[in-house]
Amino acid sequence: MAKNIYEEFLELCAFEPEEITEILPQWIKAADHFGLTEEDIRFAAEEWIPSHWDIQYQGIRKMIGAYIRELIELSKAREYKEKGAKIVYGIIPAIITSYRAMKYSGGDQVFVSFPDALLVTVLNSFFHKANPYLECAEEHGFTYGCRHCALNKTRIAARWENVIPAPDVIWSWGFNCDEGPKTDEYIQCLFDKDWRYVISRLPHDTNFGEADDELDDRVEFVAMEIKDGLKQIEEITGIKITEEHMKKALEDSNRYAFKNGMLVSLMSKADPVPLGGSDIVHFQQPLGIPFNTGLKYLEEAIDLTIKEVRAAIKEGKGVVPKGAPKVAFYGVPVAVPWVDRMFRENGVAPTVSFNLSPSRKMLTPLRHSEPYMATAEQWLRMPMGMNMRSEADTMIQKIKDNKPDAVIMGFFDFDRWLGAQQKMAAKICEEETGVPHYYIEGDWWEDRDYSPEALRTRIESISQILKLKKLSQA
Amino acid sequence: MEKILRELDEAAKKRPVQLKEAKKQGKKVIQYTGNFIPAEMIYAAGAEPYLMCRGGEPEPPEAVLEYMLRFMNPLARSMAGYHLMGLDPVTPISDLIVTQQTDCHVGRVTELLEFLKLPVHKVGVPPDWKKEFTFEYYYKSLNKLKRRIEELTGNEIAGENFKKYIGYTNRINRALRKIDALRKKDNPPLGEYEFIRLNHYSFLCEPQFAAEKLEELYEKLRDAPGKFLSDAPRILIAGRALAIGDYIVPKLIEEEYGAVIVTEMLDEGIRPFKWELETEGDLLRNYAETMYLKKTPPNIFQPAWEERFAFMKELIRDYRVDGVLWYQLCFDEIYDMECTCLTKWLGEMDLPLLKLETSYEYSREAMGPLKTRIESFLDSIKGRK
Repeated sequence: MAKNIYEEFLELCAFEPEEITEILPQWIKAADHFGLTEEDIRFAAEEWIPSHWDIQYQGIRKMIGAYIRELIELSKAREYKEKGAKIVYGIIPAIITSYRAMKYSGGDQVFVSFPDALLVTVLNSFFHKANPYLECAEEHGFTYGCRHCALNKTRIAARWENVIPAPDVIWSWGFNCDEGPKTDEYIQCLFDKDWRYVISRLPHDTNFGEADDELDDRVEFVAMEIKDGLKQIEEITGIKITEEHMKKALEDSNRYAFKNGMLVSLMSKADPVPLGGSDIVHFQQPLGIPFNTGLKYLEEAIDLTIKEVRAAIKEGKGVVPKGAPKVAFYGVPVAVPWVDRMFRENGVAPTVSFNLSPSRKMLTPLRHSEPYMATAEQWLRMPMGMNMRSEADTMIQKIKDNKPDAVIMGFFDFDRWLGAQQKMAAKICEEETGVPHYYIEGDWWEDRDYSPEALRTRIESISQILKLKKLSQA
Repeated sequence: MEKILRELDEAAKKRPVQLKEAKKQGKKVIQYTGNFIPAEMIYAAGAEPYLMCRGGEPEPPEAVLEYMLRFMNPLARSMAGYHLMGLDPVTPISDLIVTQQTDCHVGRVTELLEFLKLPVHKVGVPPDWKKEFTFEYYYKSLNKLKRRIEELTGNEIAGENFKKYIGYTNRINRALRKIDALRKKDNPPLGEYEFIRLNHYSFLCEPQFAAEKLEELYEKLRDAPGKFLSDAPRILIAGRALAIGDYIVPKLIEEEYGAVIVTEMLDEGIRPFKWELETEGDLLRNYAETMYLKKTPPNIFQPAWEERFAFMKELIRDYRVDGVLWYQLCFDEIYDMECTCLTKWLGEMDLPLLKLETSYEYSREAMGPLKTRIESFLDSIKGRK
């Protein structure tokens, strides 16, 4: 029998031949469930993925496969619910150790997901088709003109269209932005009384340059928020999380983070650069988004990618010519992969993303050993958990470590927290490192307002300047 | 009424000059934002407070764009914008700028003030207000502010002095409550254009003077005739704020179109005058409890919108409101979300709602469409009446 495009797609994603037979019907059903047509699958398999992702590496194909497995898993959320599993959602940015711990505790009796982050990432990164979700939310009152976040739009639309079930509880993290947690109130007020949420918030009240993680009352407050959130979730779901579960979850996170660190290090030191910056972000995202399928498939993918990248470096193979300028990003826009490609087409290599890379301090031992305090302390060491001056300090350190030729800021124009500080941070970092910073207004999740046509001139001129600079230095 | 308004207006205008004089005499000048910061405590320390809530002009929000995302609301951007344009007489002489950290707009613009090397102190206000420990966080945050002000001024914030200024606040609030109640009349003697300015003057003027003038004004207004047509549409205005200087919309509605804004549900730039502050016991705790737990939660608190709508329904009933004007600062995303819920809920009540978004752009070109929208809204209400 001739292969159909769904099967070819799974092959592209490096599914093993023996599992394709089993997974194919699930994949066809899941694709249909989320609004992907046969044409969309064909477009992804034949055009979008080969053009934008480094599928010369089996590891990258497996990484895409891991996301597809998780999408299939999300399509089964309702079945899980009907069978009695507790559905626990969340939003980014979050502390996800507790979600992994829930899985250790509840196994198949608990289903964890950050549905919006997964949907936008998969639909736009691999199919360029998140727009129907965004438009659906806009049609139902989440206005287009106000520059709301694509993730929140997707969460609203996914529930409105009934492609995801109401959870038993969603942990609504508001340590950074306001709109994320408020979206859960919006859903509950507007159309789904069953949309039950637990909220954790943190005011932005540390002073310029104060180390958030060193302020004991702040660490204590975050620890109380985590403890309170977990307690409420335990009461709602009946899932008990022990210290042992937390410890195992933390070990998983640390192991996976270490592998990510290795990959970033390999990439930023290599010349020519062997891998795209957005590939890296795809590996980094599961540090902040729990997969119900766990880390198994992602770890297989990253292990293989590391091996393949090492071989490519040894052979002198790269995705840009040797000597090409390297740019670090505040965050390489993972769901808008043509940005990475456009830089590369102009002879410039996007490499490290500051927002997802650990700072040096994050790799040093914590002051606190009590699990909640330690988790809180670790959160406050994350760049996005800090005040702007301290975040800029972590960026300066990453610039010194990775030595990019320039830094690209922007692509967070929808985010009143992670987008609002970037112009100021750029001024600080540029002054202290001498490395030029360029700001591009854009969106990390979607490209309706910032199309390739709109950004091409800006990207081309930045690339031109960097190449001339590199030539003059040579 | 006009005479008292003029006196208050003149006193408010003179305030920056008085602050300069006070500073020369060794007093500290402390700016603050919003109702989560007790100005009474600043007065009690012998310093001079000044509310930072100016808006209504398009240039200051534009002035921050070199440093700031353009999708921040224009009131927050104005906090730094006036200063960057050299149009803010108070910020350069301020010894401290105290900002309530309620949301990202204020949070990041406060960081811009720090970036500009201005002396800033932040008060944390966790929006998840239904938990005991979040209230304690806010209360602790106020205590830290108290210590900071005491260090800055060298004066202890003594109970009696604090109580004196709480007393003035209660007098101001009582007078505002009485004046506000006059708006329940069939034909009120004042509208929002006056009422919001009274609020602003009460922040800007010395409190004893403000209390006296408001009490005097009430006596003058209590039996005064109405200033509107007897069947004028009665409007409720809601949103984040009518900032100091942002008067075009209420003025237009009341003076050009003959409607009357009889009540409001605003989070900033207005006193929470419906609530009395306790004057016995721990005054700071009393203040914190009133602002955080007792008064209507601001839009950013969570959960809040159903409770806010219940409050709005009371206003609609008590003030016999014919329609709601949602006055939204552009790119103020959380207010935008609440508006969608309100649209649904008010629709179920069959009460008209007009959503107006402002970027503080009131040029002749911008006024045309604005006037058309207001006119159509009011016409539809008149038709229903």
